[in-house]
Amino acid sequence: MEITFWGVRGSYPVPGPATVRYGGQTSCVEVRTRDGQVVIFDAGTGLRALGQKLAREASAERRRYTILLSHVHWDHIQGLPFFEPAYIPDTVIDVYALLTAADELHQVIGGITRHEFFPIPLEAVPADFQFHEVEPGVPIAIGGVKILPIALNHPFGSVGYRLDGDGTSVAYISDTAPFTEVLHKQHFLSGLELLTEEDRASLVKMRAELVDAIRGCDTVIYDTHYVPDEYARFPHYGHSTPDQALEILAGNDVRRLILYHHAPAHDDDQMDTIAAEYRARGAEVGIDVITACEGMVLTVGVARVVAA
Amino acid sequence: MKIRFWGVRGSFAMCGKDFLRHGGNTTSVELVTDGGNRLLIDLGTGATVYAKHLMASEFGRGAGRLPVLLSHTHLDHIQGLPFFTPFFIKGNQIRILGADPAGGSLRGTLQNQLAPHYSPLNGLENLAAGVSIESFLPGAELLVDDFEITTAALPHGTMWTTGFRIKADNKIVAFLSDVEYPAPHRPTREAFALAAGADLLIHDAMHDDDAYALARGWGHSPVSAGVHLARAAGAAKLALFHHSPDATDEAIDRLVVTAQSRASVPVFAAAEGEYLTI
Repeated sequence: MEITFWGVRGSYPVPGPATVRYGGQTSCVEVRTRDGQVVIFDAGTGLRALGQKLAREASAERRRYTILLSHVHWDHIQGLPFFEPAYIPDTVIDVYALLTAADELHQVIGGITRHEFFPIPLEAVPADFQFHEVEPGVPIAIGGVKILPIALNHPFGSVGYRLDGDGTSVAYISDTAPFTEVLHKQHFLSGLELLTEEDRASLVKMRAELVDAIRGCDTVIYDTHYVPDEYARFPHYGHSTPDQALEILAGNDVRRLILYHHAPAHDDDQMDTIAAEYRARGAEVGIDVITACEGMVLTVGVARVVAA
Repeated sequence: MKIRFWGVRGSFAMCGKDFLRHGGNTTSVELVTDGGNRLLIDLGTGATVYAKHLMASEFGRGAGRLPVLLSHTHLDHIQGLPFFTPFFIKGNQIRILGADPAGGSLRGTLQNQLAPHYSPLNGLENLAAGVSIESFLPGAELLVDDFEITTAALPHGTMWTTGFRIKADNKIVAFLSDVEYPAPHRPTREAFALAAGADLLIHDAMHDDDAYALARGWGHSPVSAGVHLARAAGAAKLALFHHSPDATDEAIDRLVVTAQSRASVPVFAAAEGEYLTI
């Protein structure tokens, strides 16, 4: 199974000289199985370049793609209107997402192509978009892979996914806050709020289910937006630190952690520092920590990294 | 009057080494009068960079005032809004002025952008700054601080956008982004009026003339449209703007050479960078 990182940034794209090495595009990761099945985690701005590649390779047999959305914040769906296969007839695009309110998925996701926002509405594109609602804890089979949606702690709800296929496994855990200080619900948070006993119980359960779900996973891609002093200032923003990711993974038979969803303010030099520090910290607990950069290709199941 | 381009890219923000000299951020342009009044046009990703610049000034302590003109609400012109940090500081006063999109309202559209599905801000009401959303009808004349602004509707594919003619310090800047005329050499009367005698014409130059043949009807101009309008309307200088996301720095360099060879006035490609004096 090959994993390609097309967008590794959180919040919004950051062009310019400070992000040339790690990349500035937002969340998008391609997983390709040995038999050529394409499963895409999130549709952030990284999706545009992936779509250009998929359009070049498209053939009569290969025009079906699966997109697993963690949630529908802009930085995770903004690439969708610019996904070239959507404009190729006889293409099928299956979009899986969490339904967090009464609205239908096609209305929420299609809503970003309303004429105020984008010239071509989703209903008018040639590709056949099929929307599927996921439920945390309820597995799905897509082609040769098995997928388990996992509830995460993020404003208005988010899901992670564990994907098993080709005799190996990868988990995509983004976006999520840790499971300690804040329980994200469907309202605006201007800071920390007092947790009720019920909230605490929900957090404990959510954490336990996540730990169970990713046990024994080969590679875990995790939202590590913040370094600890940034997290301390913005604990209510719904993101984690590498320390918090390591705390979830340690002792859970996970081989490798990928730091992902980098804060837009982190320039390449700061990312180098983070990468080195947490590579060493991971080694102490037996986890191979790699910092995602745009264009990085990992072959999962084989310990090798190839630059794109 | 001074101008600074914070975002010059059309459609999509582009990252990486091929986009460093002109910049990969989407539309956002600042004008500053000699007296220090600021005016921002559009809130593309360039606005997130401008936000950092502002936060180092009175905006960081909640004492900033900024008017923002929106040409339209397509994503590349508003995607910086949820990350424009002066909105998060109580005391800042930010006016957003734009036309209502067809069949909707400016306020409703921006509110929808911040709907809880799409943004943890969960609505305009959660922005800490004082934010006013002010709709105008294209064609309206606006006086915003000491900027005298003429607005006009311009054709943009199946819809329209607002173009601006902005006068301050006895200088005139015309901003015509996201526009496609019935033919490149047939600007609309409104476009001509906005550009007439401008000291600087900023014009949509998304396509080179060859690529335009395949992109007719998509709402953007070939380079020659701005070149023609600058000559016809007697503008003093032309800035090619709204660069294609596929145009690398070298491609844009070639575009400028071609445009200059046909133009009657100096031509340059808008680029992220320092303040330019008009």
